[in-house]
Amino acid sequence: MASADKLINTDVPEKDVFALHFLRSLSNLRTQNPLNSPDKSIDRVRKIKKAAYVSMARAAGGNSRLWSRALLRRAAKDDNKSVRFSRRKRKISSKRRRSNQRAPVVEEAAERLRNLVPGGGGMETSKLMEETAHYIKCLSMQVKVMQCLVDGLSQK
Amino acid sequence: MNGAIGGDLLLNCTDMSVLERQRAHLKYFNPSFDSPLAGFFADSSMINGGEMDGYLATAGLNLPMIYGETTVEGDPRMSISPETTLGTGNFKKRKFDTETKDRNEKKKKMNREEVTEEEEEKSKITELNNGSPKSIKKMKNKAKKEENNCSNDSSKVTKELEKTDYIHVRARRGQATDSHSIAERVRREKISERMKFLQDLVPGCDKITGKAGMLDEIINYVQSLQRQIEFLSMKLAVVNPRPDFDMDDIFDKEVIVSTPMTVVPSPEMVHSGYSHEMVNSGYSNEMVNSGYHHVNPMQQAETSSDPLSCFNNGQAPSMWDSYVQNLYGSLGV
Repeated sequence: MASADKLINTDVPEKDVFALHFLRSLSNLRTQNPLNSPDKSIDRVRKIKKAAYVSMARAAGGNSRLWSRALLRRAAKDDNKSVRFSRRKRKISSKRRRSNQRAPVVEEAAERLRNLVPGGGGMETSKLMEETAHYIKCLSMQVKVMQCLVDGLSQK
Repeated sequence: MNGAIGGDLLLNCTDMSVLERQRAHLKYFNPSFDSPLAGFFADSSMINGGEMDGYLATAGLNLPMIYGETTVEGDPRMSISPETTLGTGNFKKRKFDTETKDRNEKKKKMNREEVTEEEEEKSKITELNNGSPKSIKKMKNKAKKEENNCSNDSSKVTKELEKTDYIHVRARRGQATDSHSIAERVRREKISERMKFLQDLVPGCDKITGKAGMLDEIINYVQSLQRQIEFLSMKLAVVNPRPDFDMDDIFDKEVIVSTPMTVVPSPEMVHSGYSHEMVNSGYSNEMVNSGYHHVNPMQQAETSSDPLSCFNNGQAPSMWDSYVQNLYGSLGV
């Protein structure tokens, strides 16, 4: 199983990289709409959230990962919509169905996971696991960065 | 009588190659015959000799058939001789010397590996009955089939060898060995391996046994992380509109106050691998200022023109502060 070990590579860049990307996208957000419309707070939240996800995807390696690629593509496609991950069409439906018959509980859980991980709709289960591992790492990193930012802002 | 003479000749020159023997045959026959048959024979020998050269050049395995073909036209009895060399039975029906048969037989056996004797006997019987080129053709087909079988067998063997080279998965005792179940097992092993990997990442997941429970936990964790990001971005959206919250301010605070959180403002610094001490020094602040300088003028212009325009429709800063404090207090951060 040495080859499989080589496949699982979920190295995530440093926290600094995430922070850099996020702050840069935040400043871009600020330059793009210079806060002249303060009443649309929901819109702001959505934009910041999207900036967080996009900067996370960029920091995690852009197109090198499946989930980050799907996220970036989605973000580029609809700039107005919020970042939500709907499933892509199934590519290997018959195969999936066959495996559904074998382990229905696990596959059902994997289906739910597919809805959560961006770009997970067309993934094999093992690939989905790998991408999920990387995605979790990046998410926790991004959460840390944002928490630090919020803490820093609130301390004042 | 001709057959007997031919047999003697064959006996004499068994150590010659088959082609040489055939030529010797023809040489022997051509001068001795004064009959009009000789001319015909010469022509046929010319033709068949040429053919034979070609055959010999291409496939050495087809020797007996050619042998048969060349001799059919000259002497019907001669046509039998090559076939008899294939088998062991029916020796007494021939007038030939057994020695030559044995030797030829050995040669043929060297050429062709698995020739069943029963088939040969059958073919011989039919040959004896007919004595016609038909039987020879049958023989030809049989020989070809046998060759094909041989080649198929060999190819099968090589394929099996390749297969055993490629697949490294071994079925343990009591496990199925067909390719589908092996592939399925490989897939399941992969998945469980990755699940173990995920188990280390997700906190509190190592206590749960069973794939479904683990997956549930993983899903919950991912969902909680996503919700956290949403919540934090909400907070940031609330915090951000403050006009006097420059990014510089944030950066200064981040750099000075929270040492584990080192904001690196420029990609050059990231790639050059500056250490945290360098970031915490004044140099990093300069870098921060220069890196995000493009943000400042606009913001300062805003604040100078109307300091409260961007802030919740003209609320007082103190109220804003208290609001933020209350928010954070209520959120328990």
